[in-house]
Amino acid sequence: MKIKNGFVLRDVCGEQVIMGEGIGALDFGRLLSLNETAAFLWKIAQAGDFTVESLANKLCEEYDVALEQAKTDIAAIIKEWQTVGVVE
Amino acid sequence: MSLYKVAEHIFEVKFNTSANAEKSEPVLLENYSPFKLEYQKAKPVFSLEIFSEAFPKETTEETRQVDEGQEIICGKTLDGNFTFSFFCDKRHAGTLLCNTDFNKGQLYFPQALESIKLQTFALNNSLMVLYALATANMQTALFHSAVIKNNGKGYMFLGKSGTGKSTHARLWLKHIEGSELLNDDNPVVRITEEGIRVYGSPWSGKTPCYKNESVALAGIVDLSQAPYNKIEQLHGIKAYLPLLYSISGMRWNKTLADGLHQTQNTLAGNIPIWHLDCLPDKDAARLCFENIKG
Repeated sequence: MKIKNGFVLRDVCGEQVIMGEGIGALDFGRLLSLNETAAFLWKIAQAGDFTVESLANKLCEEYDVALEQAKTDIAAIIKEWQTVGVVE
Repeated sequence: MSLYKVAEHIFEVKFNTSANAEKSEPVLLENYSPFKLEYQKAKPVFSLEIFSEAFPKETTEETRQVDEGQEIICGKTLDGNFTFSFFCDKRHAGTLLCNTDFNKGQLYFPQALESIKLQTFALNNSLMVLYALATANMQTALFHSAVIKNNGKGYMFLGKSGTGKSTHARLWLKHIEGSELLNDDNPVVRITEEGIRVYGSPWSGKTPCYKNESVALAGIVDLSQAPYNKIEQLHGIKAYLPLLYSISGMRWNKTLADGLHQTQNTLAGNIPIWHLDCLPDKDAARLCFENIKG
């Protein structure tokens, strides 16, 4: 999986928000607000291809969370990203 | 060659000999006359040269924007410069070529084009595009908005085309004492050391209101049509969103998007921003004024 071209993470009035700015993302027509964990994952996912496992490993390095719990949480976040169409 | 100053930013407009502009120039630039400078040492933020000849480069389309019978096709040339083709009711009015530093533009009128109306349309759009791009990183924003001046303060009304920005401004003129129209369609906002100010411009939609003046910006109101009148103040992302939709820019360019984003965050954090559900009536104007006048 990877983040689609044209989506960027911005600090909007102190909140972490995904915006569709690039060509191809201009029709996004909304802002997607991320919590701290989701914003952390997004920054890692920006680097290129990712999987639930690759993100879970990174999350466990940074936060005190069990690997299985991390995978469940990340799968839920990625499902939301797929639903709104910001990853492919 | 002529120099103009809009919201303290200077730009230059010149006609190539191909444009045969002796007759058309005064007409085309009429709304710019309050902004004309006789002499200026400072360097312009951009210059535009106008031609009347076929567009000389091959272009590829990137995206297009359609609004009320007007269309802008945005593209690129093979050497990476930006192009904007302007259409009014499906008629091609001109194509703007802009360099990657956003400080040099060339507008090409189609050779057979003799309609002053279409030429004016292309020229105004070219200057607005160049202005928005050249100043995006100078804490400056070209808005789609109607602005009322009252008691030395500026109040801006936002909303999608057809929402009734101009109508609401008219209601203030009629029912709120001391109100004056500063601009009806495209004012400029600047964040300066002296505060945040809103400026009149040579672009004002269908209403001839080209005022070379500015006031302190005291409130921004995002309008929606509704069968009732209701006002609430917006905060955080909700305050940011109407700004995002009302400021002109080419957001698919990262540098420009970064600059506009900073401006939008500053405005959302420093100017009271409101949402008004409204009818086109006197009560809407009174409710709005009583709440936002501070």
